[in-house]
Amino acid sequence: MKPSTPTLDSLSTIHADGSRQFVQPSDVHGPFTFWRRVAALALLVIYIALPWIPVNGFPAVFLDVQERRFHFFGLTLATQDLWIGFFLVTGLAFSLFFVTSLFGRVWCGWTCPYTVFMEQLYRRVERWIDGDGPARRQLEDAPWTASKIARRVFKHGVFLLISAVIAHIFLSYFVSIKSLYEMMQHSPAHHAKAFGVVLFLTGALYFSFSWFREQFCIILCPYGRLQSALTDDNSVVIGYDKKRGEPRGKATVEKPAGDCIDCRRCVQVCPTGIDIRNGLQLECIGCAACVDACDDIMVKLKRPKGLVRYDSYVGLQGGKTRLIRPRTIFYSIVLLVGVVAFTFAVTRISPLRASVVRMGGASFYVDSGIIRNQFQLRVINKRNAESTYKIELVGSVPPSLKIVGVDQMITLPAMGEDLKTIVLTLPQADYKEHFKFRIKVTDAARGDSNETRVMEYLGPDPKAAPAAALNAKDFIH
Amino acid sequence: MTPQSPNNGPVLREHSYDGIQEYDQKLPNWWLFTWYITMVWFVIAWVAYYQLNLGESGEEQVDKALANIKAIQLKELEKLTDEKLWAMSQDEKVVAAGAATFATTCVACHGTDLSATALSATPDNPKTKVKVKLPGLPLNDTEWKHGGTPLQLLSLVRKGAPDLTKGMPPWEPQLGLTRVVEVVSFVLSKHKKGEPVTLAADSPLKPGAAAAPSAASAATPPATAPAVPTPAGK
Repeated sequence: MKPSTPTLDSLSTIHADGSRQFVQPSDVHGPFTFWRRVAALALLVIYIALPWIPVNGFPAVFLDVQERRFHFFGLTLATQDLWIGFFLVTGLAFSLFFVTSLFGRVWCGWTCPYTVFMEQLYRRVERWIDGDGPARRQLEDAPWTASKIARRVFKHGVFLLISAVIAHIFLSYFVSIKSLYEMMQHSPAHHAKAFGVVLFLTGALYFSFSWFREQFCIILCPYGRLQSALTDDNSVVIGYDKKRGEPRGKATVEKPAGDCIDCRRCVQVCPTGIDIRNGLQLECIGCAACVDACDDIMVKLKRPKGLVRYDSYVGLQGGKTRLIRPRTIFYSIVLLVGVVAFTFAVTRISPLRASVVRMGGASFYVDSGIIRNQFQLRVINKRNAESTYKIELVGSVPPSLKIVGVDQMITLPAMGEDLKTIVLTLPQADYKEHFKFRIKVTDAARGDSNETRVMEYLGPDPKAAPAAALNAKDFIH
Repeated sequence: MTPQSPNNGPVLREHSYDGIQEYDQKLPNWWLFTWYITMVWFVIAWVAYYQLNLGESGEEQVDKALANIKAIQLKELEKLTDEKLWAMSQDEKVVAAGAATFATTCVACHGTDLSATALSATPDNPKTKVKVKLPGLPLNDTEWKHGGTPLQLLSLVRKGAPDLTKGMPPWEPQLGLTRVVEVVSFVLSKHKKGEPVTLAADSPLKPGAAAAPSAASAATPPATAPAVPTPAGK
């Protein structure tokens, strides 16, 4: 089939009848491709290694959904710390805004896991088995011979294997490598849910990377659309120098031509099947394959590199790219606010957590001239070590207010959680009006402390109660 | 005549809003298929859920699950007898679990030694410790306010004191049935089967003459020898 020339009017990956035109991008070499490969390799190593590296007794990143503890490089968060996630997500969004306004969709081309898996794993396997772009296109159109079937079975087998490995590593972020290995030694029925997750993920990854491919980036990914809206004429994107390149084609004596010889190399290497010479397009994921492809040709022609290059629209028109402009200033301010808020939020995370509720039943009890209020104190030890805590009351409380019954020192095992009944007694004579207090829990050895929210101590209205004098005999044997 | 795009591409639709026009393009087939799937799914779901009432709604599922939990609990409760609770009070594992719950939840009012007292320093003399009465009732004697049979104890811990203003709250919602049974087993482990049960002077069970004897007879199973009064922990 003759490849159609990509236009701005329709997607080059969809035929007019709605059927799919598969893109078979040719291989490309050059500095951007090399560094992109290095970056992808580093990202893959990080992705695979994180669940294996123990930090403080847990994997470096371990989202323990079962125990509801989330470990990040030794920092342990409980479900109650989920509010941090707000700053994390907004912080990431603002950094993305900032980077995008400066350099376009570098995230998509260089770091997005989808691109990394697609270009550096699946596409490379395909290249290894089926050859370069033209060979693949030829094989696609070839009749179903035994050799084609064998190749297809082998290729999809490897695809499924890679998908299964990625899915297993993904699961290990949530269950840890150790228990994943234990699960793998049993029959799938033992861990039907975990097995189902891996099965589903394997299927989804296989579908995405063997068939769906660039359709995800072009049509499905909201991130890509969002990023496209964040660029302006001064954002550095991948562009074609029209002034230098046009008119493209062969130069003749009567018709001088630009530097573009219309070799279509940039179109052949594009993983989303566009012609970069049509300008910045929604499909462009900023992978720089066309930059390397064109530079290669320019070197061969002994012409200067950079006919297709990283530059802004303004820069391509011959102007000077302004990196500092209202948009980038605003995004960097918002980014800074996000970073400060996140840093502050992280420092606010205490390795222990205390929370209190009033116990069910009446709000106060009066017995033998003693008022008592009953509370339930929940203490969570987020450290991976046994800790002993001191319980005390803070606020302007009467000196005769006592915590009774419970030892004022409690010990919790590593990552332990306990619910303690706290009974506070106060001689009725000392009760003037309701007052506020907090319960403070302090790590006796390390000094970390956490205070509960404000609670109120309640009792009978002293003006309404009969003036019964406190009799010590009532409560001391 | 419909206008064409410059390079024989898609057909431009005739309408125009603020000078913006659109091409008449086909949706990708895979996208179209997701739409067909939702249509098929709609028919299946509509027939199954709304016409044939085959499936259960989410609410029904939750109600059913809750009813199921309740039924299982009720079944377990029916299985529990004084005998069984006494037997559990001899099971070290159950008692240890009950002791742990007691230590965190009950000691505040009933004391570490079940005597409802605690040693505490007085404000005037911090060196000497005096015995302070705690809010709860002692559990280490044979005098009971709300009945001393295992099942009566169990019901008290589960549902709380009949007069909730007196302090003993219902613990089942907090602890769950299992832990309540464990705590009761722990308290029973400090007692002996067949020891006399006397009702406190202010016991609400006392004036009702019918209730008290039956409770007493339940505490003393007919098969065992006459009870030998054993002072437990006092």
